[in-house]
Amino acid sequence: MFKTARSKFQTWITAGAGTIAALLVAGLMGAFGALPAHAPPQLPSDAAIDAGPWRVQPVRAYVSRAKVYGVPLKPGQKALVLEADMTNRTAQSDKAYFNVFKPDGIDLPDPLPMIALARDSTLTPELHPGMTERMAYVWPLARDAAVPANLSFGVTAEIFKPRDNLYGTPGWFNPYRLGTVAMPVADLPESGS
Amino acid sequence: MKIRAIGNLLILCATVALSYGMQVSKPHYAELTAPIPIDGAMHDTVRARSFDVRLDKVVFARTLKTNQFGQERLLTTSGLWAVVTADLTATSTSTTVAGGTWQGPTGLRYHHTERLSYRQDMPPHAVDPDLERNGLFVFEVPPDQIRGASLLVAARRFAPLDAQARISLDAVPTGADGQPTDVLPLYDLDAPAPPQGQTQQGQTQQGKT
Amino acid sequence: MSTVSTDIDPASGGETKWRRRGLVALAILLPLTLAETSYDSVREWLHGEDLIARDVEFGQSMPFGGSDWRLADLRGGKAGRLPDHAFAVIATFSVTVGDPDLQKQWLGCKVMLTDAAGRRWLPDFISGVSLPDGVMNCTSAIFSGAKKGDIITVGETFIVPEDAVKTIRPAVGLGSERPWYLRFQRPPK
Repeated sequence: MFKTARSKFQTWITAGAGTIAALLVAGLMGAFGALPAHAPPQLPSDAAIDAGPWRVQPVRAYVSRAKVYGVPLKPGQKALVLEADMTNRTAQSDKAYFNVFKPDGIDLPDPLPMIALARDSTLTPELHPGMTERMAYVWPLARDAAVPANLSFGVTAEIFKPRDNLYGTPGWFNPYRLGTVAMPVADLPESGS
Repeated sequence: MKIRAIGNLLILCATVALSYGMQVSKPHYAELTAPIPIDGAMHDTVRARSFDVRLDKVVFARTLKTNQFGQERLLTTSGLWAVVTADLTATSTSTTVAGGTWQGPTGLRYHHTERLSYRQDMPPHAVDPDLERNGLFVFEVPPDQIRGASLLVAARRFAPLDAQARISLDAVPTGADGQPTDVLPLYDLDAPAPPQGQTQQGQTQQGKT
Repeated sequence: MSTVSTDIDPASGGETKWRRRGLVALAILLPLTLAETSYDSVREWLHGEDLIARDVEFGQSMPFGGSDWRLADLRGGKAGRLPDHAFAVIATFSVTVGDPDLQKQWLGCKVMLTDAAGRRWLPDFISGVSLPDGVMNCTSAIFSGAKKGDIITVGETFIVPEDAVKTIRPAVGLGSERPWYLRFQRPPK
């Protein structure tokens, strides 16, 4: 009888110790998580940025009320346009550039921009390794949406894995916010660019 | 008893070594399911599984001219346009040939351009058995990716375990700086008779090598 | 109880016996597993390929995909813009619609020409050659709204090399009938 009670006590202590350890670790991790996170760094707007598979250099940003680079706008819309020089840093032609830029603090009707090649207005062509092209990111906005004169664009990068965990194939994964780049936004008159 | 323990230990070590060796040496999934290359040279008929392909000529140009919906379009590039003319035939069943890739000397892969709208002579090429068909593959390539390049042609763009013709472009004449000797300022895709000189030059080069 | 205890008693050789049974079971179970896991892929592959020909005499009609198919005409010649040493061929079929749900029965409809060497040609567009009036290709027939009992004419144009023209035979494959396909005898000269 006494023996069983003692072993029961021991069991309780052992299980309790484990729980306490788990709680401690979780508490510590939580505490670390609550530390003020590093704000994504401010990226230079006048130099090329290596953002994972892309090297990007923003050139100019503006608001247009006319059709830009062949991207049609619905009536009652204007467009926020960011032009950037983009270079494919990977080993093959690719068009995974839709999420590279995203304007901060603006209510977008459609988060995915229309992207056109500035050279001849081709919509979302593949870009080839090492060949820099100027691309225009076009976000349609409501005509009365307010756009600050100086706007931050979030830049998203990805990491390269020579072997992914599922198939062991190389690729770009785990998108993360590399930083923000601030651009002055010109307001183009009705005639457009 | 002792001998048995040592024996077990030896077997364990051997198993570990074997497993490690297999892990290090076995090909990866991407390699296992990669297309199966079939090598060839320009002006040779390369026999892939479902089609035969023969490269006739490669023309380099700074600007492409094309008609799109009745409108003339001039396409510029930051590199060079490479227009590859190929003769395509199906082996036994009518099929399509969609994948064309320019592979630079270091392995960079340039896909067929997406800046041209669909034309009859652009991929996907519909090919029939024993009917020769002329097809174009059009690439944008930087000038330093031309010497030592090869052209990859496959039935589909992603063709795991299917045949992929890998045609060496060594017969393309290049100068000392690696640039092609002949670069046209403008190439008209709709010109009825392509310039004959290019083919001649290609063939003489082929004869020399 | 007693049998179990002797079976697992290594001294009496029970372990060896069970090992042997396990090995035999493996030899049976592994192929079974393989068959079970590949069954769907094999079935899907069979339903996508025209593998087994069902020959039809000229002038006869054959039920296929819920309708009766008969080769109406096969004619070739030089017409329109063709490559050298090639002929244009038009094959037309007279089809009596049975099951009017063509979108289901005729899904993946494929009209082709086969020759003695086993080569196959699929329809081609030939500039300057069009189907005769009242003849539609297989895809438009599916969406033509044909009712039960209707007789429709289905046809396609082909480009065929000169050396194959003498032995070509028209064939029809339908999604609902694969891996079987119909292969028609040529009209007598």
